[in-house]
Amino acid sequence: MVLTLVVPLGFMLRDSLNRFDPSEMMIAAVTPENYLRFFVDPFYRDVLYTTIRVSVIVTASCLLCGLPMAWRLARATGRWKPVLVVLTVLPLFIGSTTRTAGWMILFSRGGMLDIVSRGLFNTAPINLMYTEPAVILGIIAINLPFTVLTLQSVFEGIDPRLEEAAASMGAPPSRAFWRIVFPLALPGVLIAAVLCFILCMNAFATPVLLGGPKFQMMAPLLYWAFSGDNNWPFAAALAFILMATTLGLTGLANVAIPRRYRGN
Amino acid sequence: MPEFTLPRRTVLGMLAAPALLTRRAAAAETCVVGTWGGDYARLLRENIDDPILKPADVNVIQDVGDETPRYTKLVAQKMLPRGTTDIACLGAVNGFRATEAGLVEPLDETKVPNLKHVLPNLRATGFVPHIYSAQVIVYNPAAVSDPPKSFADLLDPKWKGKVGMVSTVAPWVLMGASLVESGTTTDFDKAKAFMLKLNANGLRLYPETDSLAPAFKSGEIDVGVIWLARSFMWHNAGFPVKGQFPSEGAILYVSGMVVPKNAPNKAAAFKYMNALLEPSAQQGFAAHMGYLPTIDDAPLSGSVGEQLAFPEPKPKLVTPDYAVISKSMADLNDWWIKNIQHT
Repeated sequence: MVLTLVVPLGFMLRDSLNRFDPSEMMIAAVTPENYLRFFVDPFYRDVLYTTIRVSVIVTASCLLCGLPMAWRLARATGRWKPVLVVLTVLPLFIGSTTRTAGWMILFSRGGMLDIVSRGLFNTAPINLMYTEPAVILGIIAINLPFTVLTLQSVFEGIDPRLEEAAASMGAPPSRAFWRIVFPLALPGVLIAAVLCFILCMNAFATPVLLGGPKFQMMAPLLYWAFSGDNNWPFAAALAFILMATTLGLTGLANVAIPRRYRGN
Repeated sequence: MPEFTLPRRTVLGMLAAPALLTRRAAAAETCVVGTWGGDYARLLRENIDDPILKPADVNVIQDVGDETPRYTKLVAQKMLPRGTTDIACLGAVNGFRATEAGLVEPLDETKVPNLKHVLPNLRATGFVPHIYSAQVIVYNPAAVSDPPKSFADLLDPKWKGKVGMVSTVAPWVLMGASLVESGTTTDFDKAKAFMLKLNANGLRLYPETDSLAPAFKSGEIDVGVIWLARSFMWHNAGFPVKGQFPSEGAILYVSGMVVPKNAPNKAAAFKYMNALLEPSAQQGFAAHMGYLPTIDDAPLSGSVGEQLAFPEPKPKLVTPDYAVISKSMADLNDWWIKNIQHT
């Protein structure tokens, strides 16, 4: 842990305080200029806000879709359960870049969506490529299986007899879910949300391929600073800002949940 | 049970084999080449490694990766007495930077005899130009009958929303814009003003070169700014785009190789450098990738020669001012991402 995480992070922190030079790459210094550059420039702040906005939308959407799916999966019995589990896991067998290529075929002008829309409804050309909704849909498709699988294991840990007890006292299934199952599942829901949020904050391939050059998120920006400009000090500072923001917001989410519902 | 016998000659052969193999291994030189992957690496193998260096007993090992990590490795290893690569493939801008930073071996005709054939406008001290192309205006002839003749024509409202570019070549596009606005490649204030106008005219940006072809095919764009070599590849892949040299001049993109000062096997590296300037190697790259030979004794014939021939009158080809662009590149990229990409 110390060798593989703490020491490299220490090196990266040191790099983030160096000064950039196009030929020498880095000049040893102890300067906050890379961090100041980020916070003073509205462009970089805007990229961070976009990343947070997209991550919140994706996390909320994954929870919204994932909760009923995971609950049904957890309570399913018989021969269909393994089939449903395999169907949930199946997308994870395909690399995220390959899946994104599929979305590109669907979204682009002349793509399937465009052809169907124009052929059936005689609409104007549809081009969802290089837009924020395309990125959000693409990341949801990647994160949803992780959310569902996490939530499913949480629901399976809750005794179904609690729901039967609620039903025996006249509570309809929805009321039993929201009043009994959901509060018990809340610590696990938080974990699923955090997992989804972290994956989204660090998303790279989907924003690059579906968002295009005019849509900016933090991970592609970091890569651009590192690989395009060879500006390691600024890239290191961006990495720390992204990590701190993700950890901060994750901690905030934990605090926001009432203490009695938090896991021990 | 069969009887096991070991003939005397077999025993002698087995004893001699390690010695012979060692002798063979000792005779062969090894050359580690840091290169891009894909077609480029394959064509290096097919045109240089196998036909020229293998018979000369030079064993080539390719270290495939992106250019930036390769340049970074040069910088990071500069204090070491022995580096890990004998040759590093770089674009001309990084080649210039590496030379200025004293990272590369100065080369001359005593080390690399074929350097005498390098075209005068591409010569550099430590950087050997391997291939080059020109930044041209590409258009779809099925949709465009009267193509733009200059960067300035791209501002015409009739091209609104129909011009596409790749965001990764921002510094070259800005040099092209500077050329049309000022006649030089380094007036970036005028270039930026031009690009803002072009962006306001609905400029479309794409993340990589290959994403431009589908945009052309679907009719999303009719005109693009790209390397001539790429239009050659699309043409040969069955998508007949045409290239138009801008009347104000076409900026050159040059890709080449350097020998790090601490290369472990410089003798093999010099042989490699000489081989990449052989006419057969240069013609092989032109035939498959559409990049132009950097030497004066590699004429192109047949359909390749016809496709890559310069139009008459010969267009103005402009070599970037590497001293300026190498210092400005980070700032230009930063401006581009904030003002052209982020709108």
